Amino acid sequence: MPSRALRLIPTLVPAALACAMAIALPVGEAAAQARAMQRSPAPATAKLSFVGLANNDRVSGKLTVRFAISGMEIAPAGQARRNAGHHHLLIDTGLPALDQPIPSDFNHIHFGGGQTEAEIALTPGRHTLQLLFADHAHVPHDPPVVSERITVEVAADPAEKPRTAAASGGRVFFIDLKDGATIPTRAKIRFGIEGIVITPAGTMSANGGHHHLLVDAEVPALDREIPSDFNHLHFGRGQTEVELSLPPGEHTLQLLLGDHEHVPHDPPVMSERIRVRVVDTVQAGSVASAAPVAGVGRARTAAPNDAAVYFIYPKDGATIFPSSTIRFGLRNMGVAPAGVAKPNTGHHHLLVDVPTPGLGEPIPSDLNHIHLGGGQTERRITLPPGKHTLQLLLADAAHVPHDPPVMSERITVTVMPGGRKSARRR
Amino acid sequence: MRISRRSVAGLLAASCVMAGPFWATNVLAQPAKRQKPPPGALVYFHYPLDGLRVPERFTVRIGLRNMGVAPAGVEHAATGHHHLLIDTDPGPPGQPIPSDYNNIHLGNGQTEVVVTLPKGPHTLQLLLGDHTHTPHDPPVMSQKITIYVR
Repeated sequence: MPSRALRLIPTLVPAALACAMAIALPVGEAAAQARAMQRSPAPATAKLSFVGLANNDRVSGKLTVRFAISGMEIAPAGQARRNAGHHHLLIDTGLPALDQPIPSDFNHIHFGGGQTEAEIALTPGRHTLQLLFADHAHVPHDPPVVSERITVEVAADPAEKPRTAAASGGRVFFIDLKDGATIPTRAKIRFGIEGIVITPAGTMSANGGHHHLLVDAEVPALDREIPSDFNHLHFGRGQTEVELSLPPGEHTLQLLLGDHEHVPHDPPVMSERIRVRVVDTVQAGSVASAAPVAGVGRARTAAPNDAAVYFIYPKDGATIFPSSTIRFGLRNMGVAPAGVAKPNTGHHHLLVDVPTPGLGEPIPSDLNHIHLGGGQTERRITLPPGKHTLQLLLADAAHVPHDPPVMSERITVTVMPGGRKSARRR
Repeated sequence: MRISRRSVAGLLAASCVMAGPFWATNVLAQPAKRQKPPPGALVYFHYPLDGLRVPERFTVRIGLRNMGVAPAGVEHAATGHHHLLIDTDPGPPGQPIPSDYNNIHLGNGQTEVVVTLPKGPHTLQLLLGDHTHTPHDPPVMSQKITIYVR
């Protein structure tokens, strides 16, 4: 039954769990004694139905189901009230025994909090849906208040995602790794990029994307999200290298760029698929040590994997005054002034109306790349009215972004016209 | 540097804060040379705010105006590192801030910290320390706020 592949949307889960706990005892009793429970009476005029969902409807795999009850009232589970009860959604199952509490599982979803709608996820194919009203003890009424059993069909193909166009000439490639190369079981794989910029997942940009490394995998379908598993490694924070552990033997590696939604570009920006031979570290030591040394660019300071920089103010889409204080938040790292080399620290850079700069070199210093070299965590800026983009990028003592880069999403703010200053002060 | 209305307000706030019990102790002998903060320096809470009800485990986010953050031990002009004082008053201003459960040092330059507190009312206060953990002169500190852990 759990393999039903029906997932409750997380907000529903606590409610479902609470229901499950609430009826755990009565169910156990009923099983032991197999006695019929007292059923609450229901008016004959009570009517239960789906809202906006008819028999044989074609629906998407994730849908919101709404319930309508007339002639009765909704009361949360546990509250015994006349002519009242709560909804149950039966998926791909017939009516349960009417003198017993409705089971609580993936096929019988309880809405004990009195909810009148639910977001459910269905696998592609045909499914049946039916509503059943029940009283405070989850026992159906007498006569049962039940909706028509409808069949819905979930399209086999998920809706095609729009693909971001890629500029011609953009390409990704492996740095210092050729087809047929021999690498140790634990090797650093470095990704190169040309003609297109790296932006973290979630940040929409005209000509940007983030790396995906396909290990021993064919190119996935190009019109949808790249899967995320051991064979499809995502580098959603804009990382440009990975330390990869592979068992000895032959393996294939391929890079594929994905846009902000992890969908490959159109045309796809991908490297050729290369074959590598993985050998035990001892024999391969000489080969391995050669590769990183020959790498281009300067060494980047490591950052903790869970470090994140974000805007405390403003938030994405906010409207701000022409002269506003931008406040930065930093999680799992510390702030140090420029020039101070201390592990797990860096200083902020506020990028205004510019794309993410190259991550392997020092951040330029100009009016659009504001350095907070003194360790500041906020900055008052004045912008002309209109739309502007802001992005935060942390960098090390030498102004070079960390690896993986600690950068925020690029947010868009609207600067309101007029010279009035912000009334909100701390 | 332009002195704006904002920084004047900041100065006012800072001087109000230190006008309390510190004035008296300030005239005592001062062993360590204390750093002068830049004008308008102000440390404040982004979260939580005074009077807020918070869960047992929450993140304290710290804002700092007109100054920078530097890890402890790094001597750099116009910088300091944060200390979170929980249910305690600041010690003598000329002394390094003690390090214990009530005086949480953010010595790596952190600007936020996750704390877990038992249920009930608690007071929080921010105090900036220089590279030797000694408060500036005058001290850069926030108002003492009271929160309710539910």
